[in-house]
Amino acid sequence: MTTLTPLKALITRVRTETWNIKTYYVKLPDEAKLPKPGQFNMLYIHGVGEVPISISDLDEESRIAAHTVRFVGSVTKTFELLKEGDIIGFRGPYGIGWPMDAMINKNIVLIAGGIGLPPLRPVIREVARNRSAYGKLIILYGARTPEDLLFTYEYSDYESIPDTEFYVTVDKPSEGWKNNVGFVTNLIKYVDVNPSESYAFVCGPEIMMKFATQELLKRGFKTNKIYLSLERRMKCGVGLCGHCQMGPYFVCKHGPVFPLWFISKYFWVDQI
Amino acid sequence: MSLTGLYVARADSLGILFSELRRLGYVIVGYRVVDGVLRLEELDSFDEFAHNVEDIQSPGKYSLVSGGFYRHGPDSPKRFLYPPTLTLFRVSKEWVASTPTYEERNLAFFGLKPCDLASIKVLDRVLLGVDEYYTSLRRNLVLVVENCTSPGGTCFCSTMNTGPRARDTFDLAYTRLGDKLVLEAGSELGLRLLDVLEVEPIDDATYERFEVVMRNASEKARAGFELNGLPEELELRIESKVYKEVTERCLGCANCNMVCPTCFCFDVLDTPLIDGSAERVRVWDGCLNFTYGQVAGGHFRPDLWARYRHFVLHKFAYWIKQFGTYGCVGCGRCITWCPTGIDLRETVKKVLRGGKDG
Repeated sequence: MTTLTPLKALITRVRTETWNIKTYYVKLPDEAKLPKPGQFNMLYIHGVGEVPISISDLDEESRIAAHTVRFVGSVTKTFELLKEGDIIGFRGPYGIGWPMDAMINKNIVLIAGGIGLPPLRPVIREVARNRSAYGKLIILYGARTPEDLLFTYEYSDYESIPDTEFYVTVDKPSEGWKNNVGFVTNLIKYVDVNPSESYAFVCGPEIMMKFATQELLKRGFKTNKIYLSLERRMKCGVGLCGHCQMGPYFVCKHGPVFPLWFISKYFWVDQI
Repeated sequence: MSLTGLYVARADSLGILFSELRRLGYVIVGYRVVDGVLRLEELDSFDEFAHNVEDIQSPGKYSLVSGGFYRHGPDSPKRFLYPPTLTLFRVSKEWVASTPTYEERNLAFFGLKPCDLASIKVLDRVLLGVDEYYTSLRRNLVLVVENCTSPGGTCFCSTMNTGPRARDTFDLAYTRLGDKLVLEAGSELGLRLLDVLEVEPIDDATYERFEVVMRNASEKARAGFELNGLPEELELRIESKVYKEVTERCLGCANCNMVCPTCFCFDVLDTPLIDGSAERVRVWDGCLNFTYGQVAGGHFRPDLWARYRHFVLHKFAYWIKQFGTYGCVGCGRCITWCPTGIDLRETVKKVLRGGKDG
């Protein structure tokens, strides 16, 4: 039987990322499996509600997983009040993550928009850790304004990973911004890899993923080399509540990471 | 599957069957007239069973008259097997989580129609072995089915191959044929129930009549489209403008979801309680509800036509990919209980007629 009862979990640290985003480090309950890059957990605030949050980092040894949360809904806004030492409810890990096993010796292009970067960060960590196992790493990241950029404190770490390119852009620059301006899809022109030896992982707002996908297809990426992490309303995380359906797929169970060929029949359909 | 072939008993044997199930300790659930509507409820005596009324159904309309044969009301077995609200867990102030234990109950549906029997078969694919409450009730569930000799104005079980005659999964199926009751057992329990009646193997004349009645009933319950190739045809027309046309009069009330015997979507309500604990309650939700596809900061199906299209495609196409069966059993409830009488049969036909761009 499927249980929807949360386990008790401890918040070991809270890190402020931007004006409306914080990262919550959660000690995984003993019963929980270690999450893989691209998987998500259901985090529950006592009496308030539960939200699906992708892991943005993982320390396997201490079994502490990071969850980067933007305060936009009724539950996530309550997250803002949580601090180190607080208890939350935990279920997971759920879903199918990024296909890291298939990436051996391949180039990886990461395209992230806004809060789409956290689900991709474990991929960056994995490549950094096992650098020789993978080909070139290209990271394209865009946010609305410089104030919305996540993890700015570790960009130099990304750039110092051998054979890695990191491009960042904002839609609306503020004073003193010297980097790229425009949507993240404009950065795809910098991607100089052989598409047949490369994979693209995309995560961000749906409209951004559509444009990014079109651009990647134009540049010769085949539909089995483009992976997308989709977002939907989720209440259960295990394919029961129905809310996350995209066409016949339960995003929580069959995804959230899908190869484009899997969903291409539905992906382009308006309001599917 | 029939274990016995057909038997005949006197029409008033139905009451004996009811009493026997009571004697065996079953909680009997069947149709009863409540406020001018057939409701599925626990029945204490056979007199409460609505075997002498007829429901007149058409798109957006429902009424009862005395005499004749009933079909159903807005309730379906789902209301008992997958209740509208169910507490999933409670977490104390000290973070001790507890899951309610569900009382074991031996439930018998009495006089259920073949479409609703089929809905249980559909829910089995979705919930059996997954949902604890459903599975525990389903294990001991008894199904006494009344074959439908007179399908109603919104019925299309023949098209969906779910009726008007039940073919399998029942314990006992009966057909009211004038002063006779035609009976068929589908399980050991069904055989035991037959044993308490005075039955004879069906005679040629009654059998012929039975066949004619069922054949005529079958003709009455057609939707005007064929299942053959339907999922693919509908998906090919996924951009059909018909959904926009049809939903011009849709209110987005999700009545169709609520009365559908197979719609299984749920929302959860998290509530803090006065003692410092908190509980989560599962409540029915439906894809026609505005919030169904809404997330903080976005909406995946803001327009009604997109939500209605999901309903239609889920029932006739996606369900097959998800669970290996259609999600529609042709009961017609979504048509009858739609406040504006939107007719699912007409929608499907229009989409098929409209061609790829229509």
